[in-house]
Amino acid sequence: MAGEGNGAPSGAPATQDGPKPKSTPPPANSTGTPTNTSPEKLTPAQLKAKAKAEKAARRAQVKEARAAAASPATPTQEKGAAGTDTKGGKGKGKQDVQQASNRPRPSVSGRRPSMPIVEKDARSGIPESFSHVPMAKRIPMSQAHKDVHPAVLAVGQQMATFALKDSISRLKATLLAFRKVIESYETPKGNSLSRHFVPHVLNPQIEYLTECRPMCFAMGNAIRLLKGKVNKFDIDTAEDEAKEGLLEWIDLLINERITLAEFSIARNAAQSIKEGDTILTYGRHRLVEKTLLEAKRNGKSFDVTIIDDPYERSGQELAKALRQAGIHVLYSPNLGGLRPKVAEASNVFLGGEAIFANGSLHAASGTADVAMAAMNAGVKVIVLCETINFDRDRVSVDALTYNEIDPERNTADCFRLLFDVTHDKYITGVITEFESGGGNSPAQAILALLRKQEDPLIA
Amino acid sequence: MAPSQASYAPSLDNLIKSFNSQPLEASIESLIFLLKRRQVKGDECARATAHILRQVVAKSKWHDVDQLLSRVQSAGSRLVRAAPLEPVIGNIVRRVLGLIRDEASEDRNNADDVTSEAASDIQTLGPSAPPPLPRPVPVPIRPGPSAISAGMQVSKSMFNLLSVADPGDSPATGASTPLSQAQPASVHALRSEVMDGIEEILDEINQADDQIAGFSDIQIHPGDYVLAYQPTRSVERFLVKAASKRRFTVIIACLDSPNSGAAEPPYATLRKKLNTAGVNTINLVSNGLMAYIPRVNKVIFGAKAVYQNGGLLVDSGCCIAAQAAHEHLKPVIVLCPVYKFCPEDPSDEVSRGELGTPSSYVSYANGPGVDALEVENTVTDYIPPELVDVYLTNLGPQTRHHLASILADHYKTEDIGFSLQLGEP
Repeated sequence: MAGEGNGAPSGAPATQDGPKPKSTPPPANSTGTPTNTSPEKLTPAQLKAKAKAEKAARRAQVKEARAAAASPATPTQEKGAAGTDTKGGKGKGKQDVQQASNRPRPSVSGRRPSMPIVEKDARSGIPESFSHVPMAKRIPMSQAHKDVHPAVLAVGQQMATFALKDSISRLKATLLAFRKVIESYETPKGNSLSRHFVPHVLNPQIEYLTECRPMCFAMGNAIRLLKGKVNKFDIDTAEDEAKEGLLEWIDLLINERITLAEFSIARNAAQSIKEGDTILTYGRHRLVEKTLLEAKRNGKSFDVTIIDDPYERSGQELAKALRQAGIHVLYSPNLGGLRPKVAEASNVFLGGEAIFANGSLHAASGTADVAMAAMNAGVKVIVLCETINFDRDRVSVDALTYNEIDPERNTADCFRLLFDVTHDKYITGVITEFESGGGNSPAQAILALLRKQEDPLIA
Repeated sequence: MAPSQASYAPSLDNLIKSFNSQPLEASIESLIFLLKRRQVKGDECARATAHILRQVVAKSKWHDVDQLLSRVQSAGSRLVRAAPLEPVIGNIVRRVLGLIRDEASEDRNNADDVTSEAASDIQTLGPSAPPPLPRPVPVPIRPGPSAISAGMQVSKSMFNLLSVADPGDSPATGASTPLSQAQPASVHALRSEVMDGIEEILDEINQADDQIAGFSDIQIHPGDYVLAYQPTRSVERFLVKAASKRRFTVIIACLDSPNSGAAEPPYATLRKKLNTAGVNTINLVSNGLMAYIPRVNKVIFGAKAVYQNGGLLVDSGCCIAAQAAHEHLKPVIVLCPVYKFCPEDPSDEVSRGELGTPSSYVSYANGPGVDALEVENTVTDYIPPELVDVYLTNLGPQTRHHLASILADHYKTEDIGFSLQLGEP
């Protein structure tokens, strides 16, 4: 794939690195021993000594995960935790069968009592009118449910700390982690993968990820597709065959819907940039950045105006990257003076997190203001979005339907939502990997197209 | 923003105090200095201008109305040039010019009316002002109706236009009105009356916020969610007044850079006041506002100036709030005392916005950043009139269709372009 190298945002590939030499376990091991006892009582008598050896390995691994959480979750430690999963995974599946009966809600049962207090504190400051909006939270690794696969643990931590931020990098990391989960999965006796895998292995992972940070819509889509895929296996399908099929499918999904999509969106969108244009964008979005650089590589000369969010300042990075490529950049640190700046632009390029069934765009807070100002000034607003981000099941008319609270600014003193919703009347067109350039097709058209061809390769 | 106001307010008060002791020219210069450094801004410009013009009337040498007008014009246009994006200064100068013309024409038309009502009205005057005298002035009576005299005044100012080159000297020309022969007594009377008028303007400026706050319970209803964008002092007073009668929620938004409010959350004092009155507050730290507007019932902010087309000059960011509210059909209420209404159209400069320091966003310590970025930190915005629903003045709420009558009531047509009439200071 042409874009393979391009596609991986900095934090994403952490789980990809396979078994790696463990980072030295920090000395904080002793703190975790209490939870360690819980699997012990569950161990049934019929398991042989082999099972015990596995358990020891598993215990070491839990300790390590906990240690990684106790110290600030640095990527290397997470990688270490993720690397061990292949060893522990075998025991995991068995453990899962045994626990299936006494696991009412994994999210609660695996917790320490201290956790709910912390949790309450985090949400107590949220003003009542926004109290329904979910918020990412950091769950110490030791408090995660024991069914959670180490690779997923690491991804969850990265999501909770916003090391994995945008929808696509979260999706990619999730898929790669699920890949590990599948690799290490073993169907217990008397069960088949298509019946057992989703409820007993996959769902706890998903629940954990959702707890760390509400799932993005791309993840929702991918998980729906994955479950569909698993359910389609005949009950008699050999386990190896099924696993192989799933792994292949995940690779295909990553290649087609992420890597290739990114490549073709950048190519299509770059074509719509004309010589001498002034392109205005908001914040930093991967696809917009790729597009601008691609257009520059094609030899076009154009100016870029970057409107930034002073609470993120990601636009500064984009400005530097573009400046290095030789593009003239005007940087505005906030939305002040938006109207005159927008009026001078020839195109507005926006990236998004998701597009809902009613065509509205779910994107970083402030995007809607920029789109609206541009539309009022008669400037084209073009949204770049992969089709995996299209959510055909949800409709959002205002930004309070689906949103997230910034976990660092969640009190009445200081409050912020992460996203807003841009009504489709403020969007001229959407460029996805399906369309060939232009950016003139509204989101509705793409939704219709998607509905028609639920990709036969993928679903 | 409130904290910085607190920090430079004393310097302005000191400055105004020093006006009495300093020579006139020094006072003007020091005010121009502060204006240029943007250390006096917003409402304070109006106050400072009124004070300095009072000094001009009191201290400068003038023998007739023409001279007085020209002195005020020249001082005024220097101030206006020092802070081109503070139209309030020009408004106050125009008000004072109009005041002088009114007093002068009153003198002329009612010269017989020796017992001027002014004498009894006068209470306090600046130390340098001569005691008010009744005017036993046998000014030659101009027999025409006032319309004619107004026409004559226009022609006078045009003669002033020609005599600009030497504004220091008396521009008395053959065309001057009979007033140019006015006796010193008349000059004294005029001086004191004009100074009284300026006092009234100052009173108006000082009371405007309270008067506007008086309308708060009409505009704010129980249970409302009110978005206050960068609340100025007027807005704060308005909200606090409303809080004494209503239970509602205030959402405070601002465009501050995250660094600047490090010491304490912004608007802490306002929030404390509102909270003790039982009004909930939420501080938004967000760039975009579209996400919150569905929750909001109305948007309130203060204007720096209102142009004659109804457009507003505001602190940057207010435009985002107005635009978002307009799109969601939520009312946009702008607090603007009458003295902020300009009889002008917005210039291109205004609609592009004033640029502020970028250093709070891109630190100079960040070398590569400084190299790479061309930062444009806009600090003022222009809001087109379509986005505004209510102009809440100290005379009551207005819509943009009736602003012309307010302007006509407060300014004289011949003063509208005063700063253009004089070339060099």
